[in-house]
Amino acid sequence: MGGISRRGMLGGAAAIVAPWPGLTSAVRADTRDSVTIGWPSDVPSWDPNERFTPDAQSLFKMVYDQPLDQDAQLKLVPKLITKWELAADGRTLSGEMRDDVTFHDGSKMTSADLKWTFFDRIKAGHKVDTANVWKRVTTFDTPTPASFVMHFDSPFATSPNWLGFLGSYVVPKDYMEKVGVDGFLAKPIGSGPFKIVDYQLNTRVVLERNEAYWGPKPRLRRVVIEIIKDPSARVAAIQSGAVDLVVNVPVREVTRLGAIPGLTGQLTPITRVILLQCRNDLGFADENVRLAASHAIDKVALSKAFYAGAAVPLSVPATPGSPGFVADYTFAYDPELSKQLLAKSGFSLDKPAKLKMATFNGQFPSDYDIARAIVQMWKKVGIDAELEVVEYAKYFELNRGAKLPEVTLYTFDNATGDPEIYSGYLLNPKLPFSAWKGMDIGQKVIDLFTVADNAKRIAGYRDLAKEAVETGASIPLLQSVQTSVRKKDLSYTAFGNGWVLPQDMEWS
Amino acid sequence: MLLILARRALTAVPILFVVSLMLFVALRVLPVDPAAMSMPPSATLAEIDAMRSQMGLDRPLLEQYGIWLNQAAHGDFGQSLHLRRPVLRLVADTLPATIELAVAAMLVASALGVGGGLALFALRGRRAELAAESATTVLMSVPEFLWALLFIFVFGVLLQALPFTGRLDASLPRPDITGFLLLDAVLVGRVDVLWSALAHLVLPAAALGLAFAPPIVRVLRSSLLDVYHDDYIRQARLRGLSEGRILCRHALKNAALPMLTLMGVQFGFLFGGSLLVEVIYSYPGLGNLMVDAVRNADLPIIQMVGLTYCVLVLAINTLVDGLYVVLNPKLRRR
Amino acid sequence: MRPLRSGRVIAGAVIVAAVLMCALLAPHLAPHDPDDQNLIAQLLPPAWQVGGDADYPLGTDGLGRCVLSRLLFGARVAMEVALIASLGAALVGSLLAYVAGYLGGWADWLIGRAVDVWMSFPPVILSLILMTGLGTGVRNVIFAIVLVDWTRFCRVLRSEVIVVARRDYVSAARLSGFGHWRTVTREVVPATVPLLVTLLSLEMGIAVVVEAVLSFVGLGARADQVAWGQMIADGRQAIYQAPWALFAPVLAIFVTVAGFNLLGDGLRRTLDVRMVEGRE
Repeated sequence: MGGISRRGMLGGAAAIVAPWPGLTSAVRADTRDSVTIGWPSDVPSWDPNERFTPDAQSLFKMVYDQPLDQDAQLKLVPKLITKWELAADGRTLSGEMRDDVTFHDGSKMTSADLKWTFFDRIKAGHKVDTANVWKRVTTFDTPTPASFVMHFDSPFATSPNWLGFLGSYVVPKDYMEKVGVDGFLAKPIGSGPFKIVDYQLNTRVVLERNEAYWGPKPRLRRVVIEIIKDPSARVAAIQSGAVDLVVNVPVREVTRLGAIPGLTGQLTPITRVILLQCRNDLGFADENVRLAASHAIDKVALSKAFYAGAAVPLSVPATPGSPGFVADYTFAYDPELSKQLLAKSGFSLDKPAKLKMATFNGQFPSDYDIARAIVQMWKKVGIDAELEVVEYAKYFELNRGAKLPEVTLYTFDNATGDPEIYSGYLLNPKLPFSAWKGMDIGQKVIDLFTVADNAKRIAGYRDLAKEAVETGASIPLLQSVQTSVRKKDLSYTAFGNGWVLPQDMEWS
Repeated sequence: MLLILARRALTAVPILFVVSLMLFVALRVLPVDPAAMSMPPSATLAEIDAMRSQMGLDRPLLEQYGIWLNQAAHGDFGQSLHLRRPVLRLVADTLPATIELAVAAMLVASALGVGGGLALFALRGRRAELAAESATTVLMSVPEFLWALLFIFVFGVLLQALPFTGRLDASLPRPDITGFLLLDAVLVGRVDVLWSALAHLVLPAAALGLAFAPPIVRVLRSSLLDVYHDDYIRQARLRGLSEGRILCRHALKNAALPMLTLMGVQFGFLFGGSLLVEVIYSYPGLGNLMVDAVRNADLPIIQMVGLTYCVLVLAINTLVDGLYVVLNPKLRRR
Repeated sequence: MRPLRSGRVIAGAVIVAAVLMCALLAPHLAPHDPDDQNLIAQLLPPAWQVGGDADYPLGTDGLGRCVLSRLLFGARVAMEVALIASLGAALVGSLLAYVAGYLGGWADWLIGRAVDVWMSFPPVILSLILMTGLGTGVRNVIFAIVLVDWTRFCRVLRSEVIVVARRDYVSAARLSGFGHWRTVTREVVPATVPLLVTLLSLEMGIAVVVEAVLSFVGLGARADQVAWGQMIADGRQAIYQAPWALFAPVLAIFVTVAGFNLLGDGLRRTLDVRMVEGRE
C-alpha cells in the first residue's frame, strides 16, 4: 500500500531516488472516477442487522439503504420511508415508503421487506443486534406494498431515530429466505448506491456504482476500501499516495500531513462523547471521591494535548448542538476543590484514595494516552488510580458480571444525537452500557424511557444529565473528533456523526 | 524415504493430540465467557445461560473436549466469537500469506547465512576473523522486531523507498486463486501485481531473514572448520585438487548436514517470529489474526491458530528429518 | 581464570554491569519521575537538537515524559525479568534434565515427550497464549518465560548429563556407596556447571527480548510499569515527530542483549562448552 504512486506526495522526502522504477510508473489510469479509502476496521459481518458497530455504518450505507436518513447536520430526513407519523401515545408508528426501489438483484423492495427486516427476522430468532431494539414491536402491518404500521409494547419515542440508526438497514426478504443467512453473507445484496464486487476479509472491499440506483447517482464509478487497522500504517498509506483518503489518524499526523502540498487534513467534531463511566460502589461509593475525581480533570489540557484543542470539553454527557446539551452549564476544573472534597472523606496526598481505572488501547485516537494523563492529574490531588487495559469487546461482559473497576474511560457514539441514546443509555442500570447501578438516578432514567411527550422528555434528560454530573454519577470529558486526511482535489461531506460516504465524494 | 516420512508423521500425531488437549483446557480455564462474548451487549443473564448450555459450556471439561474433537474430526473447528465466521475459513485465508512471508524470509536467511558462513570461513586465521566473529555475535542480538522497526524507519520513512504495509498496492486487483500472492500473480500473468507484491515482501522478509541468518553463519563456519580437520581433505589436497573444488565437492557437502538440521529448526521458529513482523507491517497473515484474537479474547481462533502453528512446526521437522536421511548416505543404506 | 582473559567475556560483563547499575541507580540517575507528564512539553527532541530542552536530555514522549528517565527505569523491569526468569527457567529445566539424564527409563521418556510437545510451539506463540490467560504484569511475564523456556535448558543439559553420568568417576562414586542424591550433587552437577552458566547468560538476553515483545503487543508489563517494549509501542505512534523516542529503547534493548550474548558466547568458548547453536 505504499511507495507506488507518488502523486500527491511532493514533500521534501519525495525527491529521493525511487529504487523501483518499474513500480513508480504504475500510476493507475482512471483515478478520476474511482476513490480508494483507508478505513480502520472491517465490517463485523455483511449482514447489516447483525452487529451494532458505529465504524461500519459508513460501509453499510454504501450497500444498503436505511428507512430514514440523516443530513450532514443530523436532521432526520426521508429515505426509503417518505412520510412517517408517531402516534401521540408513542405506541404506533405508521408511514409510507417509496415504490421505485430495487435491490441489486433487480427485485423490487416493498413493505414486506421492511417487515422482514424489523419483525419477521427477529421473530424467527436470527441472531441480530437489531432484535434488542425492535423486539418491542408487537405487530407489524403492511396494508399496501408501500405502507406500514408498527405497534410497540410500550411508548417508543425514539423509534423514528432508530429507523436511521445502527443496524436499521433493509435487507431483501425473498433473497434471504431463498439462500439463507449464510448464503446472504456469501453474496450480500442491498439496495444502496454501490454493489460489492470483491470482498477480502480484513483486507479490502471493492464496490461499483449501482447503475439502477433509485436516488441520486454517485459520481464515482468505483470505490476501494482498504482495511488498514494500524494508525501509523494509515498515515503511511496516505503519505505515499496509495490511498486517497484516510480517517482516524493521530491528530498530530493530521497537522503534519496537512502541511504536505497536495494533501488536506480535517478535524470534524462528531456525535461521539468521551467520558468516564462510573460505578456507584467500591471506592466510588463516596460522592466526595467521585466529585473530587471529576473536578481534578483538566479537560482543556486534554483537548490541547491530544486533539490539538479541537475536541470540545464537555460538562454534560451530550454533544453541543444535540437536543440534550445544556449550553449554559459548566462543571469547573478545580483541583483545590478536589483536595477539599477528599479531605472531607479523610483522604490526602499522603493518604490517597485508592481505586482502579480501566481503559481501551486503540479503540479511539489517544484513548490510552488520555487515561494515563488522567491518572497523573488525579495523583496530584490525592487519588491513586491503578490503570488496566481492557478490550472493547470485554466491556459488556465485565459490566454484566459487575467486574468493571470504579471508572472506565469509555466512548459512546450516538449518530442520532437524541439524549435518550446519550444519558439514557449511559445511565440506565438495566442496559449493558451503564456501569452506574444506583437507583436514585436509575429510576429517573427508566421513567424517561417511556415518556411519549417529546418536549417533556428532552427537558427531563437535560435535568438528568446535570444531576448525574453534579453527583459524580457521570464524568463527561470531551466531544470526540474525527480526523481525516485526503488528497486536496477530492471533496467529501463531513457528517456530524462521522459518516464518510463515497456517494458524496467528487474529484475537482 | 516415504516410509521414514510416514513414520515421522505418525509420531507427530500424539504430540498434536496432546497439544490440542492442553490448548483446549488452558483456554477454557481463562476468565472469559465465550457465551457472553458471542451475545449482543444487551443480552440478559438468562439468555446467556441458555447460550452457555447450547454451546455445551456447562458440561465437564473433558466431555467438552470430546465434543470439540469429534467436531474437529468432521472438519468443524468452530466459529469465531467476534467475527462470527468459521475459524477454519479464517485460518485458510491467512495461512498462505504467512507461509509466503516465512519462505521468503528463510530464503533471505539462507542466502545471508551461507554467504556469511563462507566469508567468515575464508577469513580464518586472519586478523579480521575476530572482528567478523564478534560482529555476528552482535548481529545475533537484534531480534526480528527491532529489524522490522529499523527498516520501516530507514526505508519506509526516511528514504520512502519501499512500502511497509500490507501485501499489495491498493490500486491493484488481488488475484485470489491459491492465496499465495506471488504465485497467483504469475498465474494470471500480471507483472505489475507481481512487482508490487515483491516490493511489499522485501522489508518484512529481510527483517525476519536477517534475524535468523547469524546462527546459520556460525554453524556453517564451524562445520567447515571441523570438516577441514578430517583426513580426506588432506588427501584431496595431496591428490592435487584445487581449493575451490575441495570446498565445493567435499567440504560443503559434508558441512551441509548440520546446517540443514539447524535451518529446519530455525524455520519452525521463524514462524513464531513472523507474528511480530506481521503485526508491525500490517501484513494480513496468521500472526495478525492471532494478535487480534488475543485482544478480543476470541478463544476458537486462538485455539485453531495455536494448533496451526503447531502443525507447521511438526510438518517442517518431519520434512527436515526426511531430507536428512536423503542427504546422509549412511542413514539411507540402513 | 580463563574466562577473564577473553575479550568477549570482559566486554559482555562490562555492558551487563553497566545496565545493571543503571537499573539499580535509576531513582538517583533519572532527572525526572518516569511517569511525570508534562502535557505542554510533548515530543521534545533530544537536548542537542534544535528545540531541545536541557531539562530533558533525550527529549520527551507523546505524554511529555522524560525519555531518559523512562529508559533508566525501564532497565529495572528488563533486568528483573532477565535475572529472575532465566534463573527460574534454569532451575526448572536443569532439575528435569538431571532427573531425565541421570535416571533414564520412563522418567526420561516422559520428560522427553514433554519437551517434544513444548518444542512443537514457536515460543512467541506459546508465551502469547500464556499471557492471555495470566494477564499483564511483570510477575506474569517472568512466569510465562519460565514456563516457555525451561525446555532450552532441559534439552541441552539432558544430553550432557547422560554423557557425564556414564563417566568412570560417576560410576565409581555409585559403586563406593554414594546415594543418588549425593552422586548427582557432588559429581554430575559440577561437571555441567560451565554449560549451565553459558545457557543462563544467553537466556537472559532472550528474556529481555521476550519481555520487550510482550510489552510491545500490550501483553507484558502493566500500564503503570515502565518497560522498554511499552516505550517502543508508544514511540511508534509518533515515529515521524519524535523518532528518538522510538530509537532510544530500541538501542537499549540492542545493547543489553548484545551484552548478554557476548558474555554467553565468550563463556562458551573459554569454558569449552559443546552445544548446538540456534536462535529461537
